[in-house]
Formats: sequence, structure tokens, C-alpha cells
Amino acid sequence: MPIANTLVPTRTLVPKRDIRMLLIKWIVGLLVPVAVFTFIWSGEAIINNALLSLLMPGSTTLNISIVIQVAIFILIFYATVIALAGYLVAADSGQRGMIELWIDIAVFVLLPLFLVISQGLIIGLALCAIIWPVYFFARRRVRQMRHYTPPPPLQNLNTLDAEQRANLMSRATLGGFWFSVALTVVWLVTDLIFYISGQLPTTLLIWVAIRTIVLPIAGYFLGRLGGAIALRRTLTQKNGANGENDTDGTGSSTSKRQLEALSTTRVREEAKDLVPNDLPLRSTGAQRFYLILVVAFVLFYPVIDPFLFGSGTDGRLAGYGDAGYYVILALGLNIVVGFAGLLDLGYVAFFAIGAYAWGIVGSTQLTNVLNLAPVNPHLLSWLFWPMIIVAALTAAFFGVLLGAPTLRLRGDYLAIVTLGFGEIVPIVFLELDKYTNGPNGIVGVQSPSFFGIDWSVVTPAPYYYLILALIAFTIFTNVRLRDSRLGRAWIAIREDEIAAASSGVNLVATKLFAFGTGAFFSGIAGAYHAAKLGGVSPDNFSFGDSVIYLAMVVIGGIGSIPGVIVGALAVYAINQFLLAQLDSLAADPSNPLFAIHNAIAHVFPGFTFGNVRNLIFGVILVVIMIFRPEGLIPSARRRRELHRTADEGAEVGSLDVAPGAPGFESEVRVE
Amino acid sequence: MTLFLQELVIGITTGAIYALIALGYTMVYGIIELINFAHGDVFMIGTFVCVTILGAFGITNSSSPPAGFALVGVLLVTLLGSMLFCAVLGVVIERVAYRPLRNAPRLAPLISAIGVSLILEDIGKLWKGINLVSFPQIFPQITYYIGPITISSVNILVIVVALVLMVALQWLVTRTRTGRAMRAVAQDREAAALMGVNVNRIIATTFFIGAALAGAASLIYGLQYGSTIFVLGFQLGLVAFTAAVLGGIGNLVGAMLGGVLIGVIEALASLIPDSVLPHGGAAWHVAVIFAILILILVFRPSGLLGQQTPEKV
Repeated sequence: MPIANTLVPTRTLVPKRDIRMLLIKWIVGLLVPVAVFTFIWSGEAIINNALLSLLMPGSTTLNISIVIQVAIFILIFYATVIALAGYLVAADSGQRGMIELWIDIAVFVLLPLFLVISQGLIIGLALCAIIWPVYFFARRRVRQMRHYTPPPPLQNLNTLDAEQRANLMSRATLGGFWFSVALTVVWLVTDLIFYISGQLPTTLLIWVAIRTIVLPIAGYFLGRLGGAIALRRTLTQKNGANGENDTDGTGSSTSKRQLEALSTTRVREEAKDLVPNDLPLRSTGAQRFYLILVVAFVLFYPVIDPFLFGSGTDGRLAGYGDAGYYVILALGLNIVVGFAGLLDLGYVAFFAIGAYAWGIVGSTQLTNVLNLAPVNPHLLSWLFWPMIIVAALTAAFFGVLLGAPTLRLRGDYLAIVTLGFGEIVPIVFLELDKYTNGPNGIVGVQSPSFFGIDWSVVTPAPYYYLILALIAFTIFTNVRLRDSRLGRAWIAIREDEIAAASSGVNLVATKLFAFGTGAFFSGIAGAYHAAKLGGVSPDNFSFGDSVIYLAMVVIGGIGSIPGVIVGALAVYAINQFLLAQLDSLAADPSNPLFAIHNAIAHVFPGFTFGNVRNLIFGVILVVIMIFRPEGLIPSARRRRELHRTADEGAEVGSLDVAPGAPGFESEVRVE
Repeated sequence: MTLFLQELVIGITTGAIYALIALGYTMVYGIIELINFAHGDVFMIGTFVCVTILGAFGITNSSSPPAGFALVGVLLVTLLGSMLFCAVLGVVIERVAYRPLRNAPRLAPLISAIGVSLILEDIGKLWKGINLVSFPQIFPQITYYIGPITISSVNILVIVVALVLMVALQWLVTRTRTGRAMRAVAQDREAAALMGVNVNRIIATTFFIGAALAGAASLIYGLQYGSTIFVLGFQLGLVAFTAAVLGGIGNLVGAMLGGVLIGVIEALASLIPDSVLPHGGAAWHVAVIFAILILILVFRPSGLLGQQTPEKV
């Protein structure tokens, strides 16, 4: 339903008929996952625990700092979801069917929730990474069968006049308000049922009353916030691009105007993704909300984990601490392979360099070789902070060193040289056993310490936050690099080396920077790995590991930062958690795997899932690639490229299209 | 000098096997620009097939080997059986894992190939277990002396079989209709299709031939070394791929040359004394191979015989 056709908004909270459909669509769509989280998962337990200890101090054994952190998380969670509701109602053009949306929400929100509840966080997400490509494939098939054409993006939404903006705002307000009303009602009813059945302490009724009043009011304002976000990047009629060009264009006013004129078309193109369109859930604005949710969840994870999954928090946190450095490795490799398009099959070499750098310095290895007195371990653990930078710089230096001979090589000749480097470096470390202890590896590597925070203690939370900080640093640097002049040069040489060189890109410097930067991050990951493991083992640096890192990048979506993060976590989870647990799952007679295992063991005596881990992993790799060759979350640019190839497929036929028809136009469009 | 010549003989024998495997890499790369990581594992499966076929003839390490015509017959049946099995396996892999990705982004088939490689490796592990599998030594070991160096009959067999197959392949690619179609598809797939070449069939044929050569290599490898293991394919495949690149990937003669060269380098590397590299050259041979490869590529960026093609704009 185009916005222009809707009536001029009045300051009323009673929605008109067309808005009512939108409200039902999104309230149901969002309320179901929130309800699942709150009532079926342990969200309710978090809230009640936090509130009980706030209302009645002393009645609980919970640590007060944990309670405050949990309360903050809950606050962020509900506020974000309500604002998101407002945004979505504002951003929806009403062209997409209700059923379709609910199916999507079921697959992308409810399914993960259920899997995470039943299987644990990492395994649940890994299962999703397997199921989603299959869903995409099935959806594409169904759409082809039904001759589905996606709704065309709205034309008039890119330039809004004041009336339309007010209209959007009122829709957002309505969305936020009614969503929180629905939430309040559902919550109230549930709490009353709990109260009557005697499961809810009477004290908490105070909270129930406060909430029933406060939530709709908060919903009104949060909805307006969502609307403001939806409007932020739209174009106004007066001055072309609004908001988009705030940050750049520092030159003279003429060149700025020229830039604006040039970029308006681009802004319009991008605005189709950003502003109200037919896919509000996938718009950039909505992604901001998801980002807030994810960041809040990740930050507060150590305190909410025991509520969500029960005992065993320490083991899980340690596991995530390990998963983290794969994210850094994948992001670093993404710079080389994804941004600059240089296929690197020996990335593990830099990881090894980083790990040995801290391994040799952070243990007694170096002082033994140099015949010095061992350094005080307390002092040594402080050395970690400068050494992580030194390790990264060393790796970067070798990255440049490797890059130098490859400058003249193209494509797979480059791949084989990097592969060779990846084979040489571990052999050097293995055979120079005077410094590296050879096949036995280095043991007794110090863990870091920082003003009273000691990483050597048993609880894994410090490592969790350390890797979180390192990942945050890596992501930030990657995003900034991608959007920098250097990053654009990388992408240019990826697309066409000759064209890039003709446009003044310095090929030598650009390629060397790509290798150096990529190696830098794996050096960080290496130093972290050595510290976390407390040692360095030469078994971790084989060609197979390089291949796994590459698989992370490609499966996630080459060149796409969120994609690579998801790919790294998914591959790590499939490999380390899911497949490692198959045997213990199959040992449980109530599990469906038990019957499968017995059936196979009948044919192959002595069969265990552990024996066929690689086989299953290989099948998963092949299946994901066949169903989703562009990766789980492809970068916007690549998605556009693939889209264009689909257009090109119709090129021969487009000659028949009459002048003036949309197909005709697409043929002569100049990019 | 004697040592050098002796190592040279070993190097050429090993190199002949590498070259046969490298041909599979280079053919596939030439036609669809894919590093077929699964190729080495097809070779590994081939060695297992040979052991199984020989076992079906009742031949194990403990039984007395057949002689005369029976020996020739057994060898031929094993060779053909292994070649056929590997060839069919190669075609199936292409059909299942690579053809759906023909128009996908470049790295997608690469990951798919790695997946297939992992699958084959585990199948090998399920089939013959995780330990070394001994390969029956049915070919009589006769040692010939040429001056101070020795050559065994197996060495000669390996070199002869490899040479015959390479010549046959060269003939196939340059002299036959299929070969011409293959070269056409390698040059320009769409143009070839317009000229009436069935592209899918030609690509499948390429996989068929390449994998068949790996099957042949698996028999002579077994005769030469007397044992096999499920991880063999990965290591050997890596070296063979290096050989293909060294010679100039996509170039058949280059792959042969590269294979022999790598074999010789590897053999000669073991002559490096402990004083130069700790633990002696043998421990470093992979590093030496790759170091020399990098050096060669610096000066000849398209391999030894690769064409320095100007980039299309």
C-alpha cells in the first residue's frame, strides 16, 4: 500500500483499517519469538530472579552485580524489540504477504530459538547454518514453481514530503504502542495465571502493576524512536540526499555539490535497501536493531548463561573463547581473499608465527636458549600486551615477505606459492627444535595479566572478554579498512587488476598491504591461542587448517564481514561441537541417532561417528556450497553481481522487448 | 657422483608417478579452472582398489606371486580395473559436486572439492582402516647394474607404464576428435558449445581420463612402494599439484616435466647434510620442494612451460 494513498495522520492511537493489517502482521510476527524467549526459555527466570533480589535484598544468594547486569540486559532487550516493532510498521510497504513473513520469522527466529534451547547455543546455530541453505533452496524452488515475482520496490519512498514523513511517524508510533500493549496483555495474563497457581511471589505483583502502566507509554516513545530511525536515511524533496552525505564531502562547496549530484543516484539505489521497502526485516535500519540485540547478548552472556542453559557455564565459556580466535583468523583471511581477491592457501603460516612468537617469549624457552636466568613469571605475563603487537607485526612482516615474490603471479599460481609458504613455515618450526622444542611443542606459556585481572585463574570469563575485545578491534579495523581508500583499491584489484592499475591504483603497495594486514590479524590470533592453550603444539598448523579457514570465509560469504563471522562460528561449531558430540548423542537410547548408529554398525562392525567426522563435514561443505554457493550472508556487492548475471541470462531475449518496457531499459543502462 | 646418479634414478621413478597424478590436476584445471583437491584422494582410493582386486585373485603378500602370462594378465586386469573404477569415481564426483557449481563464484567449487576430498579420505579410512595397508609385491624384483648405479625391474616398469600412458594421452589430446573438443572447451566454453561441442560431456570425459590416469598411477605406486594408507592422497596430491603448477598448469608436457623435476628435487634434497639443515635434508624435503617452486615462479610466473598469456581486457 503506497504511503501517498493513506490518509493524513491524526493524533489518535486508533489505527485505520490498512494500518490494522500491518499491525497484526508485525505484532504477531514479533510477539511470538519474544514470548518464546520469555516464557518457554528461561527469560522469565532471569527477570524474576533479577526482580526478586532487587525488591527483596537478602532473600537471594545471587550476587548483586550479576543482578544489575542481568537487569540492564533485560531492559535493552525489551526496549530494542519495541522500537524495532515501530520501525518495522513504519518501514513496511504492505506489499509482502503476511503468511510469507510469518514463515520467514518461524524459520529465522523461532527455529534458532528452539534449536538453541534444545541443543545449546553453538550447536543450535550450527544446525541452523545447515538448515537455512536448504530452506533458501526450497523457497527458490517453490517460488519458481508458482512463478513468483517479488514486489517491485516503491518508487515514491525515496523522496518524502512533510506529509508522508508525518504519516510514517504516526505508523511507527502506532506500531510501538500497540506492540507493547499486546506484550503487556500477554504478560499480564501469564503472570496472573502464575500468581493464581501460586508460582509467583506476591511481592512481584508490584512489578506487574508498574509494568502494565509503564510499558504502553514506553512503547509510544520507543515506537517514535523506531520511526525516526526509519526516516533518517530517506531523501527529502528539498535537498537531495539527506543524512547520507553528512560524513563525507569536506572539500570546497562546488566539489561537494558535484559529489552530491553524483552520489544521489547511488544513494537512491542504496535507499531501496535502507528505507521503507518491501523487505523491512532485511533493511539496514532493522539490522541496526539486530546488532544492538546481538551486542547486548554477547556482552552480558557470561551472566545470563547460567539462567539460560543451567550449569556448566565455565566449560561453555572456554569453548567460546576458543571459537573466538577462529573469527579473527577468518576476518584476517577475508582481507586477503575476500577484499583483495588473492587466493591464500597457506594462511596458517602466519597463525603459527604469531603463536610461536608468544610461545617462545612467554615461556622459559627463550631464556633457556640464551642461557639467561628465567624472567619472573609475573613480569612475563605482563609482557603479553606488548608481545601481542610484536607477534602481529612479525606476522605482518612475513606476510609482506611472502607477498613480494607473488606480485607477478596471477590466480592459482599465487595460490600455490602461498600454499608452499604454509608448508615451509611449520616445517621450519618443527625442525628448528633448538628454539621451538620440535614435535613436542612449547609448554608452560604464560597467560596475560592486567592490573589485578589474572587470566591464569580457573574461570574462563577473562578470556571470553579478552577475545571479545580482540574481535571488536578486528571488526572495527576491518570495516574501516574496507571503506577506506585502501579498501576500495583492494576491491578494485579484485574486480579487475588492469583496470585498477590504469586508474592509478599502485598494485605493488596495495597487494603487499593486503598480505600484511591479513597476516597481522592472524598474528594476534596466534598469540592469543598460545596464551589460552598455555602452550604451542606444531600439530595445529597443517595445510588442512588453512583449508578450514578458507572454508569459513567462503561458507560465510566471501568479502562480507558479518558473513565471515557467521561462517567462522558455524564451521567451528559444526566441526568441534556438533560432530564431536555425535557419538555421545548416539549412546543415548532415547536419541534418534541411536537407531541410525545401530543400523550402520550392523553393516560396518565397529562403526563410530568419530570415524566419519570428516565425511560428514565434507558432505556438509558440499551441500552448503551447492545450495548456497555465494555463502550464508553474501556481501551486498556480490549479491548485486549475482543479480546482474541473472539479468544477463535474459540478454538474448531482451532484444525482443519493445522500447520503453522495463527489460529494454535495463539493457542500455549505464552503470 | 654415484650417489647423485642413484638418487636421480629414484627421483625419475617417483617423478613419473607424480607426473601421472599431476596430469589429472592439469587437465581439470585447463578445462574448468578448478583445483581439484579430490584428485589425490581418488588416487588413494585407486590404491585400495588395486589391493582389493589383487586380493580377489587370491594374491596377498604371503602367497607366491604368479609368473609368466598369469602375471601379465593379473597386472593388466588390476590396471584396467583400477583405472575404470577411478574414472567412474571421477565422473561421479564431477556430476555431483562440481557441475551444479559451474556458474557459481570461483571459490565455491574449490570448497566443494575440499569437501569431496574429506569424504573420500574417510571412506578410505572406513574401508581399509587407519593403518598402513601392505601392497602385494607381485612383480619380480630383478636388479640391474649400470656401472655403479642400480635399477630394479619395478623402476623400469613404472617408467615404462608412465611413458606409455603419457604418450597415449598426448596422442588423444592432439590427434583425436575428442581431444580437439577438449582443447576447444578449454579455450572458450561458449564458443565451443556454439560449434556443436557437448560441453558437459567433454568435461565429464576430462574427469574420466584424468581420474583413470590416477588409477594407473595407483597400481605402479603400489608396486614401487609396497604399501598405502588413507592419508596418502592428500600429501601426494599436494606434491602432484605443485608439479602441475611448476610445469605450467593446463600444459600436459609441463605436468610431466614438473612431476619428474619434483621427484628429482625430492630425491636430491635427501643428500643435503645435517650441517646445512638440522636433521638432514630428508626432513626438509617438502620445504625444499616449495622453496624451489617459489624461486622458479618468481622468474617464470606461469611455470616452466606455461604460456605467458596477455590478460584479456
